[in-house]
Amino acid sequence: MTRKEFLQTGIFLVTCLMPLWVDAQGTTSSKFQDGKENGDTPKTWKTLDELSAEERAVLDLRAETPRDSQIPYLPAEKFPFSPPYTAEEMGIRSMEFPHSPFWNCTLIDIAATVTNTGFLDQRVTIIPILYLPTGGFAEHLYTAKPGQEVYRWLSQSVSLPERYGNQTLYVGYRNDLTFTTKLDLFAYSPALRRVRRQPQPRREDRLPNSASTFDDLIGRDAWEFRWRILGTDVLHQTVRFPVTRQTATLTDDKGNYIEVPANEIKLMGNDYPLYTADGGVKCFVIEAVPNPEWLKNYYVGKMIYWLDQQSFFPLRIEEYDKEGNLVFINVRVGTRANPALGDHGYAVLFDLWWDIPIDLLSASIHGFLLRTWTEEDRKIFFSPGFMRREWFLEPPKSLMTLNSPDEFYLRPTLERNKFPAERKIEIPPALEPRIEAQEREGRLVF
Amino acid sequence: MGKRNSGRVCHGIGWTCLLWGALVASWVQPCEANWLGDYWSRFDRFLATFDPAGRYVRQPIEKQIPSLTFKGFYRQWSDILLTGDERVANRDKDFRFLQLQNLFEIEMHYQVSPNLEITNVDHFLYDGAYNWQDSAGLYAPRRSETLRHYHNFDRIVRELYASYRIHSLDVVLGKQQIAWGKMDGRFIDVINAMDSRESVQLEASDFEYRRIPAWMANVTYFFGANSLNLLYIPNFEQDRQAVVGAPWFSPSVPPSDTVVKANEDILEGRMNARGDIIQKRKRPSTGDWGDHEFGARLDVSMEPLTWGLIYFYAWNKNPNNFIVGRVDPTNPDDPRLIFRPRHTRLDHFGITADYASSLSQVPLVGELPVVLRVEGLWTKGVRFTDSARVASVRNGATGSGLITRDTIRAAIAIELAFPGNTSVILQPSLFYTFNWRETLGNGFGGGVGDEYNVIPVFFTERPFRFTRDRLRLSLTVSPYLSGPVKGWQGIKTKVVASYNFSQFVTGRLIYTAYSGGNRRDIYGQYDKWDNIGWEISYEF
Repeated sequence: MTRKEFLQTGIFLVTCLMPLWVDAQGTTSSKFQDGKENGDTPKTWKTLDELSAEERAVLDLRAETPRDSQIPYLPAEKFPFSPPYTAEEMGIRSMEFPHSPFWNCTLIDIAATVTNTGFLDQRVTIIPILYLPTGGFAEHLYTAKPGQEVYRWLSQSVSLPERYGNQTLYVGYRNDLTFTTKLDLFAYSPALRRVRRQPQPRREDRLPNSASTFDDLIGRDAWEFRWRILGTDVLHQTVRFPVTRQTATLTDDKGNYIEVPANEIKLMGNDYPLYTADGGVKCFVIEAVPNPEWLKNYYVGKMIYWLDQQSFFPLRIEEYDKEGNLVFINVRVGTRANPALGDHGYAVLFDLWWDIPIDLLSASIHGFLLRTWTEEDRKIFFSPGFMRREWFLEPPKSLMTLNSPDEFYLRPTLERNKFPAERKIEIPPALEPRIEAQEREGRLVF
Repeated sequence: MGKRNSGRVCHGIGWTCLLWGALVASWVQPCEANWLGDYWSRFDRFLATFDPAGRYVRQPIEKQIPSLTFKGFYRQWSDILLTGDERVANRDKDFRFLQLQNLFEIEMHYQVSPNLEITNVDHFLYDGAYNWQDSAGLYAPRRSETLRHYHNFDRIVRELYASYRIHSLDVVLGKQQIAWGKMDGRFIDVINAMDSRESVQLEASDFEYRRIPAWMANVTYFFGANSLNLLYIPNFEQDRQAVVGAPWFSPSVPPSDTVVKANEDILEGRMNARGDIIQKRKRPSTGDWGDHEFGARLDVSMEPLTWGLIYFYAWNKNPNNFIVGRVDPTNPDDPRLIFRPRHTRLDHFGITADYASSLSQVPLVGELPVVLRVEGLWTKGVRFTDSARVASVRNGATGSGLITRDTIRAAIAIELAFPGNTSVILQPSLFYTFNWRETLGNGFGGGVGDEYNVIPVFFTERPFRFTRDRLRLSLTVSPYLSGPVKGWQGIKTKVVASYNFSQFVTGRLIYTAYSGGNRRDIYGQYDKWDNIGWEISYEF
């Protein structure tokens, strides 16, 4: 072997081994340090033992319930269920509300990611959505066969310039144990001018430049988890605006951008009927643990959901690693974007994700343009070949919502005092001072 | 000699250490307490909003003309050799920078109506390699100024077309580039010519900037999830290769630089090293209907399988040298010939397909998503120079010196999605000449210098989470095998580290090495061309 070949072999080996080394760098932990956050606020949460008889009346605490005769992994009672609700039924109801709606529309997604050093990444994406079950989510559950398509999302990037024209077509399937492919994925890049089929994303892999994983984005099937009711809570805030920015850029029903004062944005929109007197939203708090029969070696140890008690919209989702530590928080603001669907017409207005070990924050603001796709639209727009046409289905208006990283949302509150028996919170030591500084300054401090 | 080699290897090790040092520096976790401390954060926050062209050019223009989308980039990319000055075969390799290119692109889309859009892409390029270093071996601008900078309409106005779109039909008229196919590399991507100034270092990621657009009519009819694409191309553009005096001109091609520079006829391509006369190239005429090109592509989606067929009635984008006479027909002792370079007709038949699946219960990774891509191009009527026939013409026989063969080039790619957003692609490709014989030269689609070439490319890439995906590392290894004569033609190894400094500014550090084979082999001849490159790109 010549010296040159020796050198090249060395480079090859280092390249291959580097991922192992860097993975070891990825996370840090420290002993729990209790912050002052929420220390003086009144107690809003209740464990099952603390619930009144009236509150318990709407809950069915059974772990085992009769099964559907055709689809045994669903309960015998039919969706959308009626009180008293089991934890499993709540979990199935919450499936209706992934990041992108389960009804036909064009979603305008204004997204941003910020690192704790202030690296900022903003993007605007137009996402025409085709939802195939004409009978809504009930058809999705009971009629769609495993392997049958349930949605197509055509994601068209219009900003930043580097991403202009990048497109991705997601084809989502109804899953069970016999058919586990969640997505088919096609990508088009103007730089390559080619539509390329991509391997199905791994469920645990993070989206590029984002805090969320593919499962966080596309949602999870409730039947892959075991559910348990932990109690109730009242949420008053989820997504928090910094003192440096007290407005949000929303999209009206014609796709125009409008500025809205932050204090006018309510957790579940203006027409939500169940706000408490002080503007809070009453939530069921439930736990989801991966069912090993369905999910072997799933990357999440457990999740805790805060679901509003009217529509079961998840306002807060926490993910814990296999050691039980809190590692990820997703907080949301909802809106009834499709009023014709009643409680099923809620959708995510704001989504904020926080990857705690690496202190990475991502956020999305959604605009909704209701659409009725013709048969011709369905065939033409939602096929891989369409992306090659570089035809935007809405005007490609770019937008920079943040003028600097200082204007990004605050990290979600840790709510350290809530359900302490169920929630293990160990924050990396380098993160604690940043959280304290954030709470003190009312904005991210880098 | 041994001392010289030793010095060169040490020099290479020095550069390699520098590369890895830079990589490790960029690997340091900037969010934690480290030697960069708060400075990194200040730098990040400064760059987060650093977009002067966007703020002061793009945004005011788009505000003034709401129907216009305006964007662009400036890119500086340089490659520096890791070996010192030396003579390599016929080349005076007395330069260190292989390129010092500065490319400025402006891209505009004007929406005339909801269905009609006009697009224009302009390129302004300047390569400082010919001026910013002292070299006698780089004199290519004497042959072609385009290598130093784009100075004419053809190269500056890259794309200019109008596109009309309705549900089932796209009509795109004007100067444009088209990429057929789904693979890395060029298999059925045959429509546009290519500027191959970087020779073996031309990468798939550069095709977008190196394709040579042509004036054409491009019509696509969509039916369901399928489509039929028809092309009519009256404007022929030929490939551009690295020419004498350019950094990547093959060192194995005689005569030496000293001879070339002293002989204007050889420099201008009017004479070859043997003294044969090369006449002016005859190119297909835009004004002659019979000289135009036509193509068709059918794409069918039968998910999870998609496939397509192509046919392209084309010209060979590289001319063949036809023997048209002798320099001195009255003197039987003067064997010099007269060649007329001419483009010849080719019939291309291609197929492309891809299929997605998952492998279950794979050790260590569990489920493993997989995509399979296949692409192949069968080309009929490729002309090859036959050295035996040329020799017989030199000895008094008649003929063009060419022979016609069919070729095939094809590839299979298997893409695997490993954990951590790590992708691995294995892509063996084949180049084959039917009825090959040892006296044949090179021709479109066939094996280079042999009956067949096999290039089993290995590629892997992953972002690094602790850098918040800002750092990506990739490795590409391309061994070049051929038979039945040459066997091993060398290996190309490429390591790329790319880093997002901000949402507008990205940087890449690239190490490329060529080794193995001998001085007449594809990669072997570039054994002394190992280099490190960097790219800085600002998009607005």
